[in-house]
Amino acid sequence: MTRTPLRPLAQILKARVNGENPDAIERENLRQRHEEARNTSRARAEGRLLILGVFFLCAFFLVGLKMSLLAGSEPAEPRIAASGAQIVAARADITDRNGRILATNLSTHALYAQPPLMIEPERAAEELVKIFPDLNLDSLKRHFMGGRKFVWIKRRISPEQQQQVFDIGEPGLLFGPREMRLYPNGRVAAHVLGGAGFGREGVSSAEVIGVAGVEKAMDDELRDPGRGDVPLALSLDLTIQAAVERVLEGGMRLMNAKGAAAVLMDVKTGEIISLASLPDFDPNDRPRPLTQGDPGDSPLFNRAVQGLYELGSTFKIFAVAQGIDEKIVSRSTMVDITGPLRWGKFKIRDLRNYGKALSVEDVIVKSSNIGTARIAQKIGMDRQRAFLDDLGLLRPTGVELIEAKGAKPLLPPRWSEISTMTISYGHGLSASPLHLASAYATLLNGGLQIQPTLLRQDAYRPGPRVISENTSKQAREMLRQVVTRGTASFGEVPGYRVGGKTGTADKPKPQGGYYEDRVIATFASVFPYDDPKYVLVVTLDEPVETSGQKPRRTAGWTAVPVAAEVVRRVAPLLGLAPGVESVRRTGVTLVSQSNNE
Amino acid sequence: MSYLEYNVQSVPTGPRKILYANWALVLLLTAVAGVGFLMLTSVAGGDMERWAEPQMKRFILGLVVMMIVGMVPLWFWRSMSGIAYLGSIGLLVLVELIGEVGMGAQRWLDLGFMRLQPSEVMKISLVMMLAAYYDWLPISKVSRIQWVIPPVILTLLPTALVLRQPDLGTSILLIAGGGIVMFIAGVSWWYFIAVILAGAALVYTVFASRGTDWQLLKDYQFRRIDTFLDPSTDPLGAGYHITQSKIALGSGGWSGKGFMQGTQSRLNFLPEKHTDFIFTTLAEEFGFIGGLSLLTLYGLIILFCVVSAAQNKDRFGALLTLGIAATLFLFFAVNMSMVMGLAPVVGVPLPLVSYGGSAMLVLMGAFGLVQSAHIHRPRSR
Repeated sequence: MTRTPLRPLAQILKARVNGENPDAIERENLRQRHEEARNTSRARAEGRLLILGVFFLCAFFLVGLKMSLLAGSEPAEPRIAASGAQIVAARADITDRNGRILATNLSTHALYAQPPLMIEPERAAEELVKIFPDLNLDSLKRHFMGGRKFVWIKRRISPEQQQQVFDIGEPGLLFGPREMRLYPNGRVAAHVLGGAGFGREGVSSAEVIGVAGVEKAMDDELRDPGRGDVPLALSLDLTIQAAVERVLEGGMRLMNAKGAAAVLMDVKTGEIISLASLPDFDPNDRPRPLTQGDPGDSPLFNRAVQGLYELGSTFKIFAVAQGIDEKIVSRSTMVDITGPLRWGKFKIRDLRNYGKALSVEDVIVKSSNIGTARIAQKIGMDRQRAFLDDLGLLRPTGVELIEAKGAKPLLPPRWSEISTMTISYGHGLSASPLHLASAYATLLNGGLQIQPTLLRQDAYRPGPRVISENTSKQAREMLRQVVTRGTASFGEVPGYRVGGKTGTADKPKPQGGYYEDRVIATFASVFPYDDPKYVLVVTLDEPVETSGQKPRRTAGWTAVPVAAEVVRRVAPLLGLAPGVESVRRTGVTLVSQSNNE
Repeated sequence: MSYLEYNVQSVPTGPRKILYANWALVLLLTAVAGVGFLMLTSVAGGDMERWAEPQMKRFILGLVVMMIVGMVPLWFWRSMSGIAYLGSIGLLVLVELIGEVGMGAQRWLDLGFMRLQPSEVMKISLVMMLAAYYDWLPISKVSRIQWVIPPVILTLLPTALVLRQPDLGTSILLIAGGGIVMFIAGVSWWYFIAVILAGAALVYTVFASRGTDWQLLKDYQFRRIDTFLDPSTDPLGAGYHITQSKIALGSGGWSGKGFMQGTQSRLNFLPEKHTDFIFTTLAEEFGFIGGLSLLTLYGLIILFCVVSAAQNKDRFGALLTLGIAATLFLFFAVNMSMVMGLAPVVGVPLPLVSYGGSAMLVLMGAFGLVQSAHIHRPRSR
């Protein structure tokens, strides 16, 4: 772009000759240039305006055209549709692995009032209180006579109640259709299902949204309109879930525990067949969350998934299995267990004195802290950490529950050598029973990593290998020894060849330190050990067994018998045939296995 | 040109201002609102008290608000635009926080006498803010990248907040409104072309990824987009409104069935018949002619705004007037397209006609700004 100079030399010289002020020329040129700039911007603005106008016009034309097309179209018969019909079965059902309904929808009605239409508001209020005793007569009257145009009375009412309200004969009491979520099995699998509530509410319809558990975690999928009538199939088995809950509840009472959790998992696929947490609740009528006290005491709290506990000696098998897998030790290697084992200012002790040395197998069977810590020392913290990560113990489980996202294991702030030693026997790392079940499944299924899931898996996809098949087999055999001659002798269930490891951990005090008389007792088991099918973890919160002279709290006395009862009840339902041990150890007298001991 | 250069003498002062108001605009607004009262009466089955009467009260209140806003000098509103913008953002954040507590989709704040939707106020204060920005910015800098970024951020910030509510309709209106103001202010074509191309490329990539290994969205998300774009795949769910309103428009024909004779809308086939879908009642009872008349009324309002802006030498006033006209245009264009199935259902009311207090009051306040720009425009001697 060529610009005319503000002070053209020729003109200035001429002006000087003529005796005029040369600055006037500059001023004049400057004015002209400003004028030009303003004109261009104005022209541009007008151009933009024109384009916008054309655009508006096009839009007008398009809307008008469509309108004329519609006006000229053949009118279709209006469809009969009850108002609110558009929300029927908006949310998919949830079933167990065999297609039995766990959650479905039910059409009910909501009750509301339009006081301007009311004839006898006072009588209506009195009659309503007779039908629904939980309503407050005074506030009803105030709402009906206070000039309000619209009052919600009840979100969901039964057909009988609806008939009774009809019978009042008050035209200002009206009903709107309302879908509600129904859990026909009541408390069974309450923590898995979670529950649903209403989202946006209108007179003629309301959104049903998940508020907890699977319902919330899978909310998008359940509400997907393209899903059609396909229900969401969980991996749970309703029969087994009910049986596990029943046995667990009895066990919790018998052992005077304040809470209990159980996880039953398919060892190969990671499918959770049963997941129970007590105390429980009815998802049809979710209790309110606790506003004070420990949220862990609320029945809404899912101990199996959200409860992060130090799981104690159940962890020992991890260190031993890793040691064997990395050829650091073998089953018969003797480990020095002279105690206490000092590390800086820490001392690691065993419950009893087991002598000077134990074989690796006996470290598990007798549950020696010192022995395990020595093996962990040889493994080292980096490898230990990587191995626990492979077992899924360092991150949330990723199971399809909204609560699982927040359940990240609590790790020591600094993973030092002493942490390596304490974690090897289950102290210093808090994880949920579900974490433990997943880790046991990975370890004992032949060594392939599993991803725990609550959704039915139709195809089996093996995960990456974590340990060798042989190590997995040896770990199972050692766990079997724990039941036949170790701390879990009550765990023997004739015919089902249970192997497992007990763990008893003192509960931490909120202000630091540990309680001496409050424990978390855990039994993590696999059955049948020689052909692993299922992993079962049973955890009791503050159990006390009082049949003896002194109260007994260790897992061997509390969690193990409960777990054994679960296996006894559930194994036939799972379709497992009872059998005798295929591998018999020499030196053991053969006797028939029977109940009458 | 800044207000210091105004020939202050030629700007009307005192009560005389009322003579200089844009009375044609007032008349047109009243006519559109009148159509609304008629339709609301019809939808309620001849019952004025149900919707029409509260709506009338609100409209009268709106007229008063408009005249008061119009009497206040424009330079006051210009200096207020930053505060208005920040205030609206604050309200949006507040709704976000309170909505968290309430567990539901709360988009409004209870003011006692009315419920205010901050996103409604946001549309207007965004236009104000952008108009003030371009009034302050020398024209030569308008297309420079460092001066294009601030208005883009000013637009995207409230859009993100509104999208979280979630309110897709309002987010679209915010982005489109901000874009139009930037366009009129003279931002280079290339930015708009680049943004449109980038958007198209993004949409294309997302859809192209469907069914491949690198699929960007989950299957159910794609299905949701499908029902959103083509509601007929889900005739009892998302498509229900559209099917029913198309039937209503078809049965209205060219001249309609006559006042209060519409069956579709009055027999409860349509939910939201008095709010977002009120246009179907009009089209059924007054037919194509009725619909076109309303469209013409809207067109005239916009025309008057455009003329007023073209005459206005004050850049803020002109941009503000055009921005508000564009907002109105977007409102009814999106609503009508949605009702007629040209666009997906996003929940945008028909301005001044749909039942609803906060939208009406905010819109009337906005036209108060248009009046203020009109009254206080710089006049040549």
